[in-house]
Amino acid sequence: MIRAFPALLALCLFTAPASAARSKNPDTLTRLGLSDADSLDPAWSYDTFSHEVIANVYDYLFMFEGGSVEKLIPLAAAKVPSRANGLISADGKTYTIPIRAGMVFHDGTPVTAEDVRYSILRFMLFDRDAGPSSLLLQPLVDRDSTRDSTGKIDPKVFADAAKAVQVDGDKVVLRLPKPFAPMLTVLASWAPVVSRKWVAEKGGWDGAEATWQKFNNPSKTSSPLHEAVMGTGPFKLERWDRNNKQIVLVRNDRYWRTPAKLKRVVIKAVSEFGTRKLMLQAGDADTITADRPVFSQLQNVPGVELIDDQQMLDMNPVAFFTFKIKETGNPYIGSGKLDGEGVPPDFFSDLDLRRAFAYSFDYKGFIKDVMRGKGTQATGCIPNTLPGHNPKQATYSLDLKKAEEHFRKARGGEVWEKGFRFTLSYNTGNVARETLCQILKRQVESINPKFKIDVRPLEWPTFLDAYKGSKLPVFIIGWNADFPDAHTFVFPMLHSRGDYPFTQRFKDERIDKLIDQALDETDLAKRKDLYAKVQALEYELVPHLVILDTVRFRTQRDWVKGWYHNPIFPDAPYGAYYYPIWKE
Amino acid sequence: MLRFVGKRLALLPLVMLGVTVLLFALLQFLTPEMRAALYVKDPRQLAALEAIIQKHHLRDPLPIQYWSWLKQVLVGDLGYSETAKMPVADAIRAFFPATLELTFAAFFPILFIGVWLGTKSAVHKDKFVDHFSRFVAITGYSLPSFVLGLLLLMIFYGKMKMFAPGRYSLDVDLLVHSDEFRHVTGLLLVDSVLNWKWSVFWDVAKHLVLPSATLVYISMALLLRITRSSMLEELGKDYVRTARAKGLSERAVINKHARANALIPVVTLSSLLFVGLLGGVVITETVFDYPGIGRWGVNAAQQLDIPGVLGSALLSSLLFVVANMLADVAYALVDPRIRVQ
Repeated sequence: MIRAFPALLALCLFTAPASAARSKNPDTLTRLGLSDADSLDPAWSYDTFSHEVIANVYDYLFMFEGGSVEKLIPLAAAKVPSRANGLISADGKTYTIPIRAGMVFHDGTPVTAEDVRYSILRFMLFDRDAGPSSLLLQPLVDRDSTRDSTGKIDPKVFADAAKAVQVDGDKVVLRLPKPFAPMLTVLASWAPVVSRKWVAEKGGWDGAEATWQKFNNPSKTSSPLHEAVMGTGPFKLERWDRNNKQIVLVRNDRYWRTPAKLKRVVIKAVSEFGTRKLMLQAGDADTITADRPVFSQLQNVPGVELIDDQQMLDMNPVAFFTFKIKETGNPYIGSGKLDGEGVPPDFFSDLDLRRAFAYSFDYKGFIKDVMRGKGTQATGCIPNTLPGHNPKQATYSLDLKKAEEHFRKARGGEVWEKGFRFTLSYNTGNVARETLCQILKRQVESINPKFKIDVRPLEWPTFLDAYKGSKLPVFIIGWNADFPDAHTFVFPMLHSRGDYPFTQRFKDERIDKLIDQALDETDLAKRKDLYAKVQALEYELVPHLVILDTVRFRTQRDWVKGWYHNPIFPDAPYGAYYYPIWKE
Repeated sequence: MLRFVGKRLALLPLVMLGVTVLLFALLQFLTPEMRAALYVKDPRQLAALEAIIQKHHLRDPLPIQYWSWLKQVLVGDLGYSETAKMPVADAIRAFFPATLELTFAAFFPILFIGVWLGTKSAVHKDKFVDHFSRFVAITGYSLPSFVLGLLLLMIFYGKMKMFAPGRYSLDVDLLVHSDEFRHVTGLLLVDSVLNWKWSVFWDVAKHLVLPSATLVYISMALLLRITRSSMLEELGKDYVRTARAKGLSERAVINKHARANALIPVVTLSSLLFVGLLGGVVITETVFDYPGIGRWGVNAAQQLDIPGVLGSALLSSLLFVVANMLADVAYALVDPRIRVQ
């Protein structure tokens, strides 16, 4: 009955009535998404739903101007450093960033250069497993973790970080060990300014060398910034209502720019598309998350605007295989043995098995039928909108004969003989990912009746915790660019210390070396060549299945004005920077 | 009567104990590692899982394990729900009042309309009202709740803009979360009266209309048919004929005599209906984006959130036992012979 729900819903909504002509709450924007945020701590969060909120309540040093992914404007910084204005040294290793005068935090206390330094240091030294800290650790201290491979903290990191980030009057000076071209674009999306005093008063790190290790790799909920905010952004956090999966932001009237036009922004998770759509039609929601499979249901709805063909800097969806699944207390691997009722923890470390899965998916069918022909098959983890993408790279296609061959070879024939059962997961409400799971399940199960896959939707925070805990055998998720560079895809998706490989327990030294080389390479042609090699290995080793390079659409009421698309923005084009938006 | 109620009350802890034994026995199908997940709040605690297993005696003999687990249950420590991202007891406190409110909003109309229409239907057998009630019963019983819910939403929300989904509107949301609103019971209808906030009361009541109407239509069918058949049986009995022969008015015969005796199966069914509603009405809560306990329970089951499932099962069991007891008391009220026996 539940399965018939979407079809019936579509039928019901097909005859949906005309909409209200005027907005019910002219100064409040309501956005309905799929999921609740995970954490509001900028040093912890590494997911789009959380970062959509973070980007609206904090100020980064810089931000991208409009839809550009190259041109920056200053936010907490007073100027954008460049060689021309002398704020970037000739050797490209020193960045002098003057801090904007007169800015205050949400509690009215003034922002100092020391707060900015603290925010950058905290972002790096927090360094939770598979978190975003490496984005600044890499360029500033030339390492991607504060811990060694055994997980032991390297006490020298603080000194290196403190040397790299210094205060000079009302300026913050960054001293890089070697030039890093995307430095400013990283700071346009990461390490926003947080209040050192407030965090310390609430029991968080006080910024001292003596205490930083205590706050390294902490638990999610232990941070005072997990569900509270003390930033300088255009909106303040009014309430995070976990029961109703709703975050309410209220305008910051002390914002250093003209205060936002909207008084409130409500970001609410409503997992059922039908309810989201009805609320949009009735004017109780102003914008909703809606993916390509439901596009036709939103066309020609009075008062609803579909802004299509938005280019993306993402790779979504992707199916990741966990090479070493955590067995302890894990309900997603059945019996935990290869006995037809489960899978052993190292199940997906078998290359034949991964290739068998790669040949079991109908990529073209997915693009044609699910994505309604929008997008092209991905040839690697670097999207086609970025330099480094290799359009000539070989790809997998649906070939059940080849899939069977690989299944028969996997684990010396044991897989074919005994069969398996595991849980394939995606985040609740994501129709495209759900369909991907169902297609993969159907194809794989059709090859051998002993193969069984249970498809299971998980709520976003639960899903994140489960995959980061290496508990999910295969999980479907996507990746948005951290900054506009190929490195932001190859590192988190293929480098052993990147977000996904770390949780997958995937490591290939050749790939790691190529990625490290490419990061240091300044010759664009050579860099492209290195990335081509990385993508060839990606194809050969199949640590994940990339599906498509996509274009998306935004759904909003026609009274919503001022929105612009920037593919770097978290959860774009559904999420938005609400500062310039208003309602007519 | 008091003695009767006392006896039933005395049995209550014993029955609940039986329920806990049953749930505990079901837990034994899980490995000690998976049972240890009941006590894990942070994934990093998994590194110290053995210590958790030791602390909670998860490898000890069953009676020791049971006693250790029961002690925690008795003090309300039901573990941490990954789905709700809060302790299970807090999740129950957060979600149950909404469901309780919805249950009351739906149950009494179900009861009154079901019994009234069932009686009318029996008294006017094969007349228009009987055919009409049959139509209501058949459509109500066969119509999936999500179909009816969506249709109601389309008409009354989509078209007429009258009853929105959710538990309250945005304005009320801001008001109930402000400092000027005191949360006393968690039941917003009650709390709004206590706070003298009639705008909240009407808003919450309006949001209850469609989900409760859905539940009334769907759940009333069975009650209506049971009342009808029970009434038909009673109306054919000798004492009814005697009552009529004595010259009692038809109204008195039906209301005072026949219906009183016809109520026993209705009481049984009503208690089950009540528990069913209290346990959460998943599809209705989902369609109307209503933050009740049913949605949480099903999410917990879907996401293999063992503490969540266990907490929700314990709550359902407790409600079932209490409702059964209340049904027993209601039997005794309806039929004095039960008290005597």
